[in-house]
Amino acid sequence: MTGNPNSIKHNCDHYADHRLDNLHQRKYEKDADICIVGAGAAGGVLTDELSRAGFRVVTIEAGPFWDPQSDFASDELSMQSLAWNDTRLVAGKDPLTMGHNNSGRGVGGGTVHFTGVFLRFHESDFQVKTQDGLAADWPITYQDLAPYYDKIEKDIAVSGPKIFPWGSFHGPYPYPEREPISANSEVFRRGCEKLGIRSVVAPLAILSAPFAGRPPCINRGFCNQGCLPNAKFSTLIHHIPRAIAHGAEILSDCMVTHLNLDKTGALKSVTFVHDGKEYEQKAKAFILANYCIETPRLLLSSACPQFPDGLANSSGMVGKNLMTHTGHDVYCKFRDEIRLYKGTPVLATSQDFYETEPSRGFIRGYTLNAHGTRPVGLAKKLVTENNIWGKELYEIMRDFNFYAQITIVGEVLPDPGNSVTLSDEKDEYGLPRAVVTFSYGENDQKLVAHGVKKSQEILEAVGGEPAFVIPDTGHLMGTCPMGKDPTASVVDEFCRSHDIPNLYICSASVFVTSGGANPTETVMAIAARTADYIISEASK
Amino acid sequence: MSLQKTRYPFYDVLQEKSHWDEHTREIVLKRLGPFTKYEFLNNYEVEILYAIAKLVVNEERQEILEYLVHQLDKNLASPIGENQRKVGVPEQKKLIRQGLLALNQGVRQQYGVNYVELGSPQQLAFLNDLQKGKATLSEEWQKFPQQDFFKKLAADLISAYYSHPVVWSEIGYGGPAYPRGYVRVEKGLTDPWEAKRDDRES
Repeated sequence: MTGNPNSIKHNCDHYADHRLDNLHQRKYEKDADICIVGAGAAGGVLTDELSRAGFRVVTIEAGPFWDPQSDFASDELSMQSLAWNDTRLVAGKDPLTMGHNNSGRGVGGGTVHFTGVFLRFHESDFQVKTQDGLAADWPITYQDLAPYYDKIEKDIAVSGPKIFPWGSFHGPYPYPEREPISANSEVFRRGCEKLGIRSVVAPLAILSAPFAGRPPCINRGFCNQGCLPNAKFSTLIHHIPRAIAHGAEILSDCMVTHLNLDKTGALKSVTFVHDGKEYEQKAKAFILANYCIETPRLLLSSACPQFPDGLANSSGMVGKNLMTHTGHDVYCKFRDEIRLYKGTPVLATSQDFYETEPSRGFIRGYTLNAHGTRPVGLAKKLVTENNIWGKELYEIMRDFNFYAQITIVGEVLPDPGNSVTLSDEKDEYGLPRAVVTFSYGENDQKLVAHGVKKSQEILEAVGGEPAFVIPDTGHLMGTCPMGKDPTASVVDEFCRSHDIPNLYICSASVFVTSGGANPTETVMAIAARTADYIISEASK
Repeated sequence: MSLQKTRYPFYDVLQEKSHWDEHTREIVLKRLGPFTKYEFLNNYEVEILYAIAKLVVNEERQEILEYLVHQLDKNLASPIGENQRKVGVPEQKKLIRQGLLALNQGVRQQYGVNYVELGSPQQLAFLNDLQKGKATLSEEWQKFPQQDFFKKLAADLISAYYSHPVVWSEIGYGGPAYPRGYVRVEKGLTDPWEAKRDDRES
């Protein structure tokens, strides 16, 4: 329990009224029912549902307990702090950009800075093996998640169109669609119209009318920097305060560093570090909701003589099949101003290319989102991804207001070579840093080429001139896949570890395939289903 | 004087600062200086960085370059991680420090003078070579990841540059927008306080 001289003082804590400074005096130090690691999209839902059901829940979050009014700002550079900034080592032919690109740190996790695009997966997403002969099927179907999709959408008042033309859910959404839409979304929709491609105003976890004491969106456009008016949902402002009222305890600025087993092979406690000091949290059951890099890192680095290859890893699948979405950004230049900075970044979407179409020469598909951006985000990617700098960069940026952008959210097939492993290098906690290896496969590359061409056609149809394509990625999925077969998957269909009966893993890390849509709604639906299962098991 | 002709010569985003929330205002105005002492960089490194920054962002105004170098110093002094680092590439503090040494030694070997004493065309040519991984470095830096060095350095300088409110004005970016948000977001519409194009320009 000694202070670590290498410890970094992270940020702030706006939770003072709910927790004592002395972390030896915790609400459920010895008698917690459930300990959840990570207070993001999944952890927020789980904390809320389980505490409401009467469980003594303690949720441990590595980052701060944000106060939007004093911690968020209308500024790109300073709001990089909302991301998981710890260094990950990246490898592979297409090394991933981490940090703000695909993770959050702090209560609310990634929901604090996501774009709020709220899409369901389609039935086909759960049966890629059956339908296309590649990858694998999920152990659940769309129908298993449908009631939870309904529940989540209603609970946070998702805004969206009256009719949604793709997948199994055709609307209406609980709240009316957003209007007006931004110029960028407008040119996207007009381009789609000209080419006979269907488009809609995007379903969003952003309010179109007042709800639960929160105002509708003011089109400030800084969704990725944290919503100041609280018009955008996050588990920070929605689920966690409600969970605290139900009795949950949130230990923010506390980094879980080790999972401790008892003699029977059950999980006994977790070790966590706050301000350089170590503490232990016991519970009857544990849920790892710390996403696709930290979950496998923690399972692998908690290896012990009983489980030398890491915990919950008898299948050898922990850390395997890491997926992202192709997030290629397609820019076209217009004669008139578009002003990409204005309004909610994504206000229009199309899933006309979502399902497998054999004539295209690849399986699966993608969502197209009209996507706003800001100067730092664009200029930085132009140098890191496209090697554009100096005078050439300034000439592009001088015309920043004249570009329109479409972003492709494309399915990436699982590949065991894409993985999270441990390096020899240690972090501030003395834990091995994660090595994140990623390379696109052939199918992924064909899909990207198709998506880029379609995006350019859409904007060209309304007078845009193709300018540049930034090979970006977005979201993380996989590394602890769910499945029926314990030799080929890490958790069962309810996210329970095949190996350790009182351990659950619940986040996008359990995804079997990536789908071709923004994953947050599916993460939350899976979390709500897992919570229901835990509640029903406990009442047996 | 800016090297470029702006499309929005009459726009100054700083005129809007009273409409920004206090936290944002504090963050943005700090970029105008005065700046605190350097924590990580030494004088020699600062001098080279001014010369590099000038070409990387295509800017001559000292007060803007000063912010860029200070922002880089702040990043390098911070204990917070660097999000991602390619396997085999040194940690950013080491990468930048070694990179500046390698660059200057390379220039000395090739031209017999320090980088800052070179003419702009030769400086630019050397940076271009670094970015392509083709710069001639001295014996001891043969294995140095010059492309990763250039990319890291350029990304930090460019991120700072497009965070500067004077640059926001020149590209017609509205900047901070809370609490007022935007009312007119449709194509062709602008709120009264947004940048308006110079009518004389086609």
